[in-house]
Amino acid sequence: MRAFYILLTKELRSFFLSPLAYVLVALFTFLNGWLFISMLKSMQMRVSTRSLVHNLFSSGWFWMGFFILFPLITMRLFAEERKMGTIEGLLTAPVRTAEVVLSKYCATMVVYLVIILPLFLFFPLFHLVTGEDAAFHSGAFWGSALGLFLVGLFNVAIGTLASSLTTNQLIAAMVTFVFVMLHYFLGFLQYFGMVPGSIWTEGITYFSTTEHMNSLTEGLIDSRPVVYYLSFSAVLLALTHHVLESRKWRV
Amino acid sequence: MIEARNLTKRYSGRTAVDSISFEVGKGEIVGFLGPNGAGKSTTLRMLTCFLSASEGTATVAGFDIYEDSLEVRRRVGYMPENVPLYPDMRVNEYLRFRARLKGLGHRESRFAVGEAMETCSLTGVEGKMIATLSKGYKQRVGLADALVNKPDLLILDEPTNGLDPNQIRQSRELIKTLGERHTILISTHILSEVEMTCGRVIIIDRGQIRASDSPQNLIRRLRKPGSVLLEMSGDAAAAKTGIEAIKGVTEVKLIEERGDWAVFSITTDPLFDVRDEVFELIQSRNWRIRELASRTASLEDAFVDILQQESPADVKVSNPLATVT
Repeated sequence: MRAFYILLTKELRSFFLSPLAYVLVALFTFLNGWLFISMLKSMQMRVSTRSLVHNLFSSGWFWMGFFILFPLITMRLFAEERKMGTIEGLLTAPVRTAEVVLSKYCATMVVYLVIILPLFLFFPLFHLVTGEDAAFHSGAFWGSALGLFLVGLFNVAIGTLASSLTTNQLIAAMVTFVFVMLHYFLGFLQYFGMVPGSIWTEGITYFSTTEHMNSLTEGLIDSRPVVYYLSFSAVLLALTHHVLESRKWRV
Repeated sequence: MIEARNLTKRYSGRTAVDSISFEVGKGEIVGFLGPNGAGKSTTLRMLTCFLSASEGTATVAGFDIYEDSLEVRRRVGYMPENVPLYPDMRVNEYLRFRARLKGLGHRESRFAVGEAMETCSLTGVEGKMIATLSKGYKQRVGLADALVNKPDLLILDEPTNGLDPNQIRQSRELIKTLGERHTILISTHILSEVEMTCGRVIIIDRGQIRASDSPQNLIRRLRKPGSVLLEMSGDAAAAKTGIEAIKGVTEVKLIEERGDWAVFSITTDPLFDVRDEVFELIQSRNWRIRELASRTASLEDAFVDILQQESPADVKVSNPLATVT
C-alpha cells in the first residue's frame, strides 16, 4: 500500500500543478452556478412541486457538462504515460499493477470531487444570503451528493479503462465521451414506445442515471444504484488491470 | 546474476528474440551488442519484467522473472531506451519520487538521491524542470534513477544514444566506475563503447546470439587481418625482405613508387602491431620514413565479420549496422 500513497500523491501533485485543474474548477463552478440561478428564476416564475435540488440534478443541462468533464480528467491517465514511455519506468519499478491502477483512479476521483464541491456549497450559500429555507431537506442534499459520487465512480472508471487502451489522449477522450453519453441516454430508451412495467422497461430503468438520481434527490437511498455503480466500477477497473497486464500474457 | 534459458519472444507471427540463453556473472560488465531491431530491447524488457517471454525463462539474482517479478524488480535498476521521464517534474523531485517508489524510506531517499545526483554530476540542475534539461542531462537523470536504490544489477538500454562525443566519453567513465559496485548489462550498437567498457560482449542479431566472448577474443577470432601502411625511401627491395622477416607479418606489397619514395602495404596477423619493428628496421639502415600508419582490427571489424559470416545466405547484408528485420 506504500506505493499506492506515493503514486497517489504524485498524480494529485501533477494534476493540481497543471493549469487544467484550475480551468476545469472555474469552468464547472461557473456553469453550475449559472444553472443554479436559472433554476431559481424558473422556480420563482412557476410553482414547482419538486425541490430545488431535484430540479437542478434532473435537468439535462447539468449532465451535459459531465460528458466533457470525465473525458478531460481521465484522458491522460495512462495514454500520456504510454505515449511518453514513462509507463515502462513505472511498471518496472517494484509496484503492483493494481496499485498503479487504483492510485490513478483514486487521484482522479479526488479531482472530480474537488470540481463538483463548489456545487454543494451553493445550497448553504443560498440559505446564508437570502435567509430563506433552500426548499430542500437534508436527505435530498446528501442523497444527491451520494448520487454524484456514485456516478463519478462509474464514469471515472470508464475513462480510466479508455485511457489504458490507447496511446492517444484524444482517442481516449472520445471513447470516454461516447460511453459516458451512451450510458446516460440509455436511461431514456424507456420512453420510446416501451410498454410501461414490462421487463424491458424495468431493465432499462436499472441502468438509468436519471432514474437513480430521481430517487436519490428525493432523499430516497435505494441500495440498487449503489450496488450497480460500485460493481460496474470494479469490473471496469479489473478490465483496466487486465489491459495493463496483457503485455505479459504468454501467447 | 542473470541466467537466461531459451528466452523467446514472439510478436504476432514475428519472432523478435529466438530462444537465447546466456549468463551474466556477479560484478561483470556485459555489452549487449547488435544492429537495430536485433531484439536487444525486447530481451532487456523481458529481463526487467516489462514484457513476459513467450517461451523459456530467466532468473535475475535467483528470482524467476515471471514468478517473482516484484523481487526481480527490487534488485534491478533499469534505464529504458530514450530515457522516458516526467517532463513536468523537477530533477530532485523526480528522483525522490522514484527512490520512494523503489521502497526507500523518507529520510533514506533524501540521502540516496543526493548521492545519486553526485555520482551522475547532477548537483547543478537539481531544481530544474526535466522538460528544460538538455539531452545529456536527461540521460544522466535516467541513470541516477536507475541506480538510486543501489540495485545489484543495472540494465541500461542504449545509455549513450544521442549524446555528443564528449558526453559519451564522460558516460563511459561513469559506467566504468559504476562497474565497481554493480553488475551491468548495457545494450548498444556503438562498438567502441563496448570495446572500452565491457569485459564481455554478447552479439545478437535477428533474435539469436551470434557470439559471446571478451572483446579481445572476438577480435582474435576475426578472420580479417590488420594492415600497416608504410611510406619510406631507401632500398625498397631490401626493405621488403626485411619487413617480411618480422614476426606477425604475413604479406608485404609494394603498392606505389613516387620517385624516391615507396609505399608498402603490410598485412599482419590480427592483434599484431608491427610498427615498432618496422620503424627500428628503417632506422637501423638509415633510410627515411614519411608515413607509418596502422589499421589494427577493432571490435567493429569483428562485429561486421561475425554478422556477415553467420547471417543466412538468402539475406544480403551489405551493411549489417543498417539491417532491420
